[in-house]
Amino acid sequence: MKQFITIFRFEFGSYLKNKIFVGVTLALIILIAGITFFPRVSESLNTGDEDSDESKAVMLIVADEDTDKEAVLAAFSAAFPGYTVNISEEEIGSVRDKIVSGEVACAFELDGYTSFKYYVNNLSMYDANSAVATGVLESLYKYSIMISAGLTPEEANAIMNAPVTGETVNLGKDQAKNFIYTYIMIFALYMVIMLYGQLVATSVATEKNSRAMELLITSAKPVNMMFGKVLASGLAGFAQIVLVFGSSLLFFNINKDYWGGNSVINSIFAIPGELLAYMLLFFVLGFLMYAFMFGAIGSTASKIEDINTSVLPLTMVLVIAFVAVMFHLGSGNVDTGLMKFLSYFPLTSPMAMFTRIAMGSVPFYGILISVVLLAGSVFGIGVLSAKIYRVGVLLYGTPPKLTSIIKSIIKA
Amino acid sequence: MELELKEIYKNFGAKEVLKGISFCAESGKAFGLLGRNGAGKTTTIRILMGVFPADKGKITLNGMPIDYDRVRLGYLPEERGLYPKKKIIDQLIYLAELKGMNRSDAIKSVDYWLGRLGMSEYRNKKLETLSKGNQQKIQLVTTLAHDPQIIVLDEPFSGLDPVNAELLKDVVKEEMSNGKIILFSSHQMNYIEEFCDRIAILKDGKAVLYGELDDIKKHLSENRISVKSDQVQLIASELTLEHELSDRGELIIKLESPDDRQRVMAMITEKYSVSEIKVFTPTLGEIFVRYASDGQNGGK
Repeated sequence: MKQFITIFRFEFGSYLKNKIFVGVTLALIILIAGITFFPRVSESLNTGDEDSDESKAVMLIVADEDTDKEAVLAAFSAAFPGYTVNISEEEIGSVRDKIVSGEVACAFELDGYTSFKYYVNNLSMYDANSAVATGVLESLYKYSIMISAGLTPEEANAIMNAPVTGETVNLGKDQAKNFIYTYIMIFALYMVIMLYGQLVATSVATEKNSRAMELLITSAKPVNMMFGKVLASGLAGFAQIVLVFGSSLLFFNINKDYWGGNSVINSIFAIPGELLAYMLLFFVLGFLMYAFMFGAIGSTASKIEDINTSVLPLTMVLVIAFVAVMFHLGSGNVDTGLMKFLSYFPLTSPMAMFTRIAMGSVPFYGILISVVLLAGSVFGIGVLSAKIYRVGVLLYGTPPKLTSIIKSIIKA
Repeated sequence: MELELKEIYKNFGAKEVLKGISFCAESGKAFGLLGRNGAGKTTTIRILMGVFPADKGKITLNGMPIDYDRVRLGYLPEERGLYPKKKIIDQLIYLAELKGMNRSDAIKSVDYWLGRLGMSEYRNKKLETLSKGNQQKIQLVTTLAHDPQIIVLDEPFSGLDPVNAELLKDVVKEEMSNGKIILFSSHQMNYIEEFCDRIAILKDGKAVLYGELDDIKKHLSENRISVKSDQVQLIASELTLEHELSDRGELIIKLESPDDRQRVMAMITEKYSVSEIKVFTPTLGEIFVRYASDGQNGGK
């Protein structure tokens, strides 16, 4: 135990002394500070200009005599709050010139309420103005018919704005709300395993490459070496995440008022406690399992350059798990047969089971089975990887075949 | 203390690396483990260090099976290497702690050895900034800092200049007089001859020669005499006894019986002009070549 603590402290200290590690963490925190403080800063720079419409783009309406120009102006102004809407008396030709020259952003040429042309210089992919205008004109058209049929404007308005209220009662999971947590968790786990797993593999291979291993292996037990290294890198990764998320939480709370309307940002920081607990559990177990495997693979590589090839099968598994889970997450149905399998299979369960907990329906005993399987695998893989490590670190030359490693483990 | 390896066997897959190695090393003395590359020296050392177990055989210290949790071993591996990018003091303390020392003892001992080897000024430098010989001395600190009872030195003199080699010799002698068991593995025969009382020559996983170095030399002289003379060719042509010319230009004459020694020596000195005539004792290098090279099976 003393030896494990010595190794753990040394390895963790190496991360803290690593300039790149510290630099990246600080850079991330500064970046987040920049993002969270941005609305506050930009607002303080823009004070006083708030009522000015000059910054808004201009939209022109060329309407014919069959329309009620005042009503059209009012309706369009309400429907396009991002534009300064004006009725133009000019010929359509000169309006088109103004659009091309950039003086005017866009224009509608109305032919009664039932037909229009939309002029714009470059049609953006996200341009929904045409669809919005269709809705506005439909309403105006219905309204004009009701008026001409003899209804008073009040009656027409009442019909157009029929008051219907509804409420959704969700008996299962709120997918829209949990989506963002799941997405963050899956992505963070994927990133951390990739980055820190590689670091564990590189650290082992570097010791082997520099022959420090010759001394380490005669001074320390392989199990202590492996667990010390993996847990230290795990803690380093975890500390980094906590620092980054913690500082985002802090910065966000400082600037909360300036982010008021953004529901996505608000919901990130309102994760339910139960979900957070599951997130931590699956995150830690998932990371440990992969980190042990990365460490074992690192011990079989003779050169640091070999690591990338050696870890390829493992990264493939991780990528497949990531893609499969992301696909189901996107489709909205996370309880398919494949997902059920993935959520019990230890290599994929950290991502898949968490997704099902957050987004689907899974009984508690299902979660329990998955966690037990995963925890068992973590321990088994940890011990096994220490054995591979002991055999692997003393093999120089070409990376050994999997079969020969297995043979020597059984022998040892 | 007495360290004994008894009938150690080890296979790696289908390859038999050790086929029954036995030897015994005593405290206060140095033991020389010799053999060509691939003879099984490193595997023997790794089994002794407890890196992996032997397939068969026993290692005992004072007759009891060796307990790695209690016995302190120091190892200077042939493949040197520590952490090139870390501060020297940090890694030395780390390694001493790994071997069971507490932090303050580790710092004290590491500083003592840095001073003893004249390396104190490099204490806070990164290892990679040091010359090869100085890195070697740092490596030696890791071998000795935790006050090991058994010290295994694999090619300790390679890369050291004569002054540092002299320093290392002093340190080794000091450790010997402190009652440590010292195991030497080297291809530099002169150092082995200087230090080791007892040797084992390994070949193909077996000890083809084992015993006290003096006994071995006496035994291998085999009633031979060596003659240094300007008339070596003439002596050779006129001599009826079995003889050969050594690399150093001496004539090695094999006698039929030890009783002939006086007579033959007298005969040669009378008849020819001789600059040196003596009872032949082979050098360790010659013994090594004879026993460890291919084609000969070390028969006596």
